[in-house]
Amino acid sequence: MISEDPIDIMVEVKDLNVQFDKKQIVRDVSFNVNKGEIIGMFGISGAGKTTIIRVLTCQIEQKHWTGKVIVTGLSPHKKRNHRVILSNIGYVPQLEQLNLYFELSPLANVDIFTSTYGIDKKKANEVAKNLFTILDIPKDTWNKRVKHMSGGEKKRLSMAIGLIHNPNVLFLDEPTTGVDASKRYEILSYLKKLNQKLQTTMFIITHDLEAALICDKAAILREGKMLSFESPKKLISSLPSNGMIARLTIENLNQQTINIIHQFSPIQEILRVGNEVIEVMMHDFEVNLPKLIQFLVNEGFNVTAMSRDVASFRRFFQIRIKEEEQKEKDQNSLIVENEEVHDE
Amino acid sequence: MLWTDKFNIFIALVVPPLVIALLGVMGTISSTAPVIPIDCVVVSYDSNTFINENNFTESKLDDYHGPYVDAVNKSELLNLVHFYNATTDIYGMESARELLTAKQIEIIIAIPVDFSELLTWDYPGLIDCIVDSSDPQKIQENINAVFDSIKIFVKDNNLTPQFDLRGFEEFSIPENYSSKFNTSIVMTLSFMVIGVGMVLTILVIVHEKPIARLLLTPIKRNEILLAKYITYTLVLIIQNISLIATALSFGLYIVGSVFDLFLALFVLGFAGLSLGIFISSSSKTKTEANQLFFAIFLVLVLLSGIFVPINAMPIYLQVIAYILPLSHGDPLINGIITKGKSIFGFDFYVLLIVSLILVVFSFILFKRRKYEV
Repeated sequence: MISEDPIDIMVEVKDLNVQFDKKQIVRDVSFNVNKGEIIGMFGISGAGKTTIIRVLTCQIEQKHWTGKVIVTGLSPHKKRNHRVILSNIGYVPQLEQLNLYFELSPLANVDIFTSTYGIDKKKANEVAKNLFTILDIPKDTWNKRVKHMSGGEKKRLSMAIGLIHNPNVLFLDEPTTGVDASKRYEILSYLKKLNQKLQTTMFIITHDLEAALICDKAAILREGKMLSFESPKKLISSLPSNGMIARLTIENLNQQTINIIHQFSPIQEILRVGNEVIEVMMHDFEVNLPKLIQFLVNEGFNVTAMSRDVASFRRFFQIRIKEEEQKEKDQNSLIVENEEVHDE
Repeated sequence: MLWTDKFNIFIALVVPPLVIALLGVMGTISSTAPVIPIDCVVVSYDSNTFINENNFTESKLDDYHGPYVDAVNKSELLNLVHFYNATTDIYGMESARELLTAKQIEIIIAIPVDFSELLTWDYPGLIDCIVDSSDPQKIQENINAVFDSIKIFVKDNNLTPQFDLRGFEEFSIPENYSSKFNTSIVMTLSFMVIGVGMVLTILVIVHEKPIARLLLTPIKRNEILLAKYITYTLVLIIQNISLIATALSFGLYIVGSVFDLFLALFVLGFAGLSLGIFISSSSKTKTEANQLFFAIFLVLVLLSGIFVPINAMPIYLQVIAYILPLSHGDPLINGIITKGKSIFGFDFYVLLIVSLILVVFSFILFKRRKYEV
């Protein structure tokens, strides 16, 4: 159970609005990050994720944003707080070349970054070696140039640099971007491992929806608006039939087939997830699933495979974004109708 | 696509024609301007000694020194900066030597004691000249200019054309040293020090990506830039020591103090690295920094006074030349090596001021620089 004690709140954001040259980037965003949590902020490009992380890490001047923002008990609103906030937080940028001197060794990189926090060199070395061990950075690379390390090792070294001063909150910008599929899970599991071993609060911004696997809470952003902020489990169970889905493989699947399946009235959502694969959500899942099969057989479709599962966070994300797009479309058409009436 | 990097395109298209135009302006000056007369002083020992009414021995300037000074004034190749009457001013020659050391003149013309008497008795005339020999290529040019004055003197005074000119070299390199090596070192040292200083630092801000990330630590921007200055100043000190050691081991002849030379190289190198950091702080991309370096270095070299004397340039170019570090660094180093001048003088202070201005500007630019992680 996550505590809501104010002392345990590492990041507090209330009614955050960010605007650049009359362009609203973030709209009324509110959320809290508690101690020890991993928070994932998801959204497609332009959703406002990076802008939020920049406000939290004192990178955006106060004149561009309004609302209450507290990071480790201090507001980035006041410039005099910046040094303390930056001492309390860690940051792992998307690209390793922003975080590492490739011509130096991992331990030399540690020296540079720890010197900025005024940490004793000997102590920093001990912390670094402990982090390197947790992150499985091979011992023989510790004194070699970073440029000779593999992509995954660089990524893990970058995380170690972010954690070198034992920050209260670690901000990670797209930690799995540019990493191949097999390594993505590896990176995520290392983050979880660090969170468990060091109790570090983590704030991840990403468009990689798999990252939700390790998150205690997930926020979905679209065009600067926060659509939801809850644990991924709760979000998925908020879907019809607690997020139960039927995954069907239908021969010669096309849009016409999907339109026909839509005629089965209990169906709420059909998502095409592969060439011949759809995922179907419906009311009273357990009751209606056999009826759906019967419907498909009656329509003459050749269902080659079928399975039932709980929807992934990816599905929740797609449905939520689709809903929001539909809502926006409806609103726009209403506005157009009203304008036409007004003109007449 | 081209217009995504407008500044680079601007530099690429505008700088080369501008350099050619600058060369054109300078070329026009050197080809159309009248011959630049060589600055000189005349020191006269030509005296008529007699016993005055009080029975004291007295000297007064003899008859021919005046016509000779007139001839110097008439010569288009010479510019008389000062005349010293050594019969009354015993420090005349010392004052003249000071002017020679300060590079305010290039020749001292000395009229000997019996100059007028020898001419009156139809003996061949005799004139001594001390020329600045730190630049071996100019020795003959200087002597020719003195010959020109003698020619005018002989003609104007209907004298027998026999004349003996005794030349003495001042600041010449001793025989056991290589004058070629010395000349080439003096020529290249200033270019090398300022150029290497600039090259060393033009990318330290613009190309160092982790700076953006360092700014998300408690460190301040000023501290980052200060650390860069300290680091590269240490590199500069080591570089200067190795430069002097190498030059000395290959036989560089230094008239002045080695420490003065070290200080001069250091202050010029510091101006170079300040200029490099200034370029780096003001550039958005690596290419832009490289282009700016190329453009600025060319202007530094062209207006340094090494190829065309600064006082022969139009006034607007002179103004630019005098605020550029190389225009002060070269004479400073040259003066210490060839004439033993002290470092503490106008050029040194100007170099210091220019460097400090560049340091201040680079701090301002770095503070205003936009970083995003």
